[in-house]
Parts: sequence; C-alpha cells; structure tokens
Amino acid sequence: MPDNPFCALECELLEAGISPRQVRRIVMELEDHVEDLREEALAGGMSFNEATDFARRRIGHQAHIAERVLSTPELRPWIYRYPRFARLYLPLAYVLLLPAAPVFANPGRVFRWSAALMLSAAVTATMMLCMQLAIALS
Amino acid sequence: MGQTNPPFMSGVPELLLLRLLEQREMYGYELVKTIRLVTGEAISLGEGVIYPVLHALERNGALRARRRKVAGRTRVYYSVNSRGRQRLATLQNEWLRIQSGISAALQAPSNA
Repeated sequence: MPDNPFCALECELLEAGISPRQVRRIVMELEDHVEDLREEALAGGMSFNEATDFARRRIGHQAHIAERVLSTPELRPWIYRYPRFARLYLPLAYVLLLPAAPVFANPGRVFRWSAALMLSAAVTATMMLCMQLAIALS
Repeated sequence: MGQTNPPFMSGVPELLLLRLLEQREMYGYELVKTIRLVTGEAISLGEGVIYPVLHALERNGALRARRRKVAGRTRVYYSVNSRGRQRLATLQNEWLRIQSGISAALQAPSNA
C-alpha cells in the first residue's frame, strides 16, 4: 500500500471545507482500521498482498466514505450548516473587524488609517449585503 | 466489500452503535466486528462509513471519544454519555414502533 492510502479522500474532504483536524482524525482512524483488517487476514493465513486487498475491500470505496462525511451536517463547517446566519454575520463581522485592524497592526497610525479603512469596509460590506440580498431574492 | 444495506437502513447504524457502546467502550474496528457478530452478519456496514457516524454522534454530544495507547498504537475509544442514552431510548422506541407496524402489515391478509 502507498504511504497514505487515503490521500484522495483527504484531498476531497479538505477541498469540501471539512476542518483539517477532523480530516486528520478520520484518516488516522481509517488507517488504523485497515491495519487491524490486515492483521486479521494475515492471522487467517492470507499472504501480505491478499491481506492488503482484503482490507481495502472491507474498508469500502473512498468515494462512499467521502459522500457520507459530506452528507453529515454535523461534520461540515458552520457556514454550510447555517447559511442564512453566515450571510448576515460575515458582512457585519467584516465591518466591525476591519477598522480595528490598524489598532493591532500599528497603534501609532490608528487615526490616519481607520477613517479610510472604515470607509472601504463600509463600501465592501454594503456590496456584500447587496449581493446576498440579490441571491436571497432571486 | 460485501453486500451493504439498502437506503431504508438509514438510522440503523446509529442505533446499533449507541446500543453497543452503552455496554462498554470500543474503537471502530471492534465495533464493526461486534455488529457483524451480534447481527449474525445480517447487517454489514461499509466499514469506513462507520467513522462519519461516530464523529457526528460525538459532535451531537451523544458520544465521548478518548485516545488510548494499546500495544504501541493509538486508538480512539468511544463511549456513550447521558445524552447518548437519551438518544438511544428515543431511537429504540422509534424502531420498535416501526417494527411492530411492519410486522402487522406483513401478517395482515392481503386485500389488494
């Protein structure tokens, strides 16, 4: 077996927005499960290659596992589970956080920067809200 | 992979996992093996598919997971907590209700 037999599954889950921590744990448990299956098969008298094939068959297709993970709302990021809340919350969070950025970055220039940033944040947030409204009303 | 179960089995893995974990803590491979054993291989899960179910139950607060080092390998053991026991009771009642309904329908004389 290759070093990471679940590479395709790992990539698919990460691309779909599942948290890296969650993906690492799923892959770790699957690898452990495959190892147990292989040991079971070897103990039953199979050769190493036969045992590896047996373990692969029993664990199932990676596409099915990915499908199951992606169809489980609890495992998806909150943005997928509460899309309406995210549409409202994200623009507002952007408006509130961006003007505060210079305070953390360079306290000395806070006054010079914040006016410009406040304006740009307000414009961006308005655009985002308009887009979300257009999506919601379409 | 052996024959897996049709879509109407949806919810059954959750019920079985909670029932088995209510008795003692187990890790994934051990759970699949026990399911095969106690159901006489009537229920055969795609073995990799068990982990999304376990993780979802853990996220819902029905299960607790802890890592244990056994023979040089780190394994994730699952156990049921009080919320899981409540969920199990609900699922069990639901299952028994459906089962008695289907049994009644199968035993009733056909009048179609």
